[in-house]
Amino acid sequence: MKKIKIITIIVLVILITMVSFFGVYVHVQNRMENKVRDYDLDMDLQGARYVRLAVNKESKDVIKDADGNEVDTDEEMTDEQLAENGYTKESVPNNTEDSLTVENYEKSKEIIEERLKAQGVDEYEISVNSETGDILVQLPENDSTDNFVSNINTVGKFEIIDADTKEVLMDNGDIKLVNVMYGSSSSTSSGTTVYLNIEFNKQGKEKLANISKTYVESDNTTNTTADTNTATENTSNEASDETETTDNTDTTTNETNTTTESTETTKKEITMKIDDEEIMTTSFDEPIENGKLQLSIGSATTDADSLQDYITQATAMASVLDSGNLPIQYDIESNEYILSDITNTEIEYIALAVGIVLLIGFIVWVIRYKVNGFLSAIAFVGLISLYLLVIRYTNVSVSIQGIVGIIVTILLNYIFINKILSKIKHSEDSKKLENVKEAIKESYKEFFIRLIPICISIIAFCFASWTTISSFGMVMFWGVALIALYNYLITATMLKVKAEK
Amino acid sequence: MKQFIKSKQLKIVLMVLIIIAGIVMIAVKGFNFDLKYQDTQRVELYIQTEFNIADIKQITNEVFGNQKVMIQKVEVFEDSVSITTTSISDEQKSNLVTKINEKYGTELKAEDTQVENIAHTRGRDIIKPYVIPFAIAIIIVLIYLGIKYYKLNTAKVILKSIGIMLLSQILLFSIIAITRIPIGRLTIPMVILVYLFTLFGMTSRFEKNLAKKKLEESKEKKTKK
Repeated sequence: MKKIKIITIIVLVILITMVSFFGVYVHVQNRMENKVRDYDLDMDLQGARYVRLAVNKESKDVIKDADGNEVDTDEEMTDEQLAENGYTKESVPNNTEDSLTVENYEKSKEIIEERLKAQGVDEYEISVNSETGDILVQLPENDSTDNFVSNINTVGKFEIIDADTKEVLMDNGDIKLVNVMYGSSSSTSSGTTVYLNIEFNKQGKEKLANISKTYVESDNTTNTTADTNTATENTSNEASDETETTDNTDTTTNETNTTTESTETTKKEITMKIDDEEIMTTSFDEPIENGKLQLSIGSATTDADSLQDYITQATAMASVLDSGNLPIQYDIESNEYILSDITNTEIEYIALAVGIVLLIGFIVWVIRYKVNGFLSAIAFVGLISLYLLVIRYTNVSVSIQGIVGIIVTILLNYIFINKILSKIKHSEDSKKLENVKEAIKESYKEFFIRLIPICISIIAFCFASWTTISSFGMVMFWGVALIALYNYLITATMLKVKAEK
Repeated sequence: MKQFIKSKQLKIVLMVLIIIAGIVMIAVKGFNFDLKYQDTQRVELYIQTEFNIADIKQITNEVFGNQKVMIQKVEVFEDSVSITTTSISDEQKSNLVTKINEKYGTELKAEDTQVENIAHTRGRDIIKPYVIPFAIAIIIVLIYLGIKYYKLNTAKVILKSIGIMLLSQILLFSIIAITRIPIGRLTIPMVILVYLFTLFGMTSRFEKNLAKKKLEESKEKKTKK
């Protein structure tokens, strides 16, 4: 019976090992497909999207009036038209010489960094060339990468202008923060609406209040009064008496004023622009005193995919506006996916090296602790196999730090099992079940008390937003959890069964 | 006891020497940054077919000699290669293109191949994302150690822990500076490793001291009785 128990555990360990190291292959169409999930690798191991931003060197044509003021016009004017209006056309570089400074290059880098953080990019690398101003951004390759890239060089110039006069009423300087909000309309039950919430600073709040009072849709009533002479029969009933009723009909000619009311709706509108692109032209229904402007992105929807799209759009817009505008206009020079220089072969070499060291460790166990050492070695292999499966199925992104975490876990498990085996060996009678139980109990207590500070650090790392450090935390978290649970269920059981024997 | 003191003194002297040597090395030569974090130059060549990194490595060894080189496959079809090194002269570029053409039968031209300048990543930018998680972890650990080993004097335990953690990291960076191990992707894992093993060793030491203290206390109680 005891023999069967041990054999069952060994078979289970072999099974887990087979699944973990070789996979489970299923015939799909004309090929065999491994059904065991693959590792989720981070940027260092998988490769990254390299986005190279170069300082824009182009110029734009600006039309100026006789006083040298810029004329905002959408019309293409001929030279004759320009001359007629007294306008001149000048070619102005998108980035002035004065703006091309190291400070502005650095500021641009910081703004891009802020945008990436705001969009939830949890791993990136940015470097800036202080001579040319070129910026190289490395991003993890996934479904959202293109979305991040599309916003990376947006200048983020925000303006609210008078739709008619083009006077700038508000700009980036008035913004306090921009974020994304959701709201569901209960009255229409048409789903959830995504809002871009723009909160203005003190100065912006006052400006918005004034604008929202001025730029309203109003009914302007014009009174036209005409003097006309009309003959009106005025019939009045005078002095009615219960006993005597006299009908007194008096016909007079009165001068009457006829008033004609002509109602005209006039609209003062504002235009909201982001990067000189018109987002909307609207007027206000009521004054906004709270300094918050909420713009709906898309329409209300119940469809999860559409909602996610709107959220992504709004988040991108919020991140661009919230981080301020880029002092320099950049162009995306190149955008390509480059694989990691760490190849699979190199990772396999590391795995092989760890395997060889472990094998030596197992041999030492077998020599020192005989059957207990052999059983522990088998259980150890099972732990590693199960551990690698857990990492794959718990969405842990494996980074170089994660690999180090795996190695540390293996090392800690070796120290722990070695402690148990040593205590059993040095107990009065190593074949006595009570002694084995006591050795295991003591080892657990001693080992895990020493591990508490490490566990605290691991949990803190798990909550880090940076992938590489959270990867280490998660890998170690599952490792320590497995050391505690697996060894209690498998290794300790095997050692106890052997002692009973 | 004398021997112990001697060995303890020896350890201290050794540590001080390593730290001084490390500081001198950093002041004179600075850290040796990995190619990934240095000012580099990069060329990208369209080979038009899948290739072996080892073959490219052989070519770059011939062209760039002792220069550090990073070879990466580009895009999903993996038919382009990105070669990054400290600097690429016109002659090296021309040689590289010729050798690639010879090996893969391509018709690449040196004059069409652009050399891209890549700026270095600053050390503080590498460290920045790790500062807050580490600070939080260390603060919680210190609070735990202070409470758990209050019998060993909370202030002493906390100060000792800070000292040991700092010392271990300073030692690590001194060794990195002296041995010229490149500061790169393996640096942070090394820092984490040293941090974890320092924690483990420190807690083991505190546990031993606590056990000793408890034993002494029980002995005192017995003698009083």
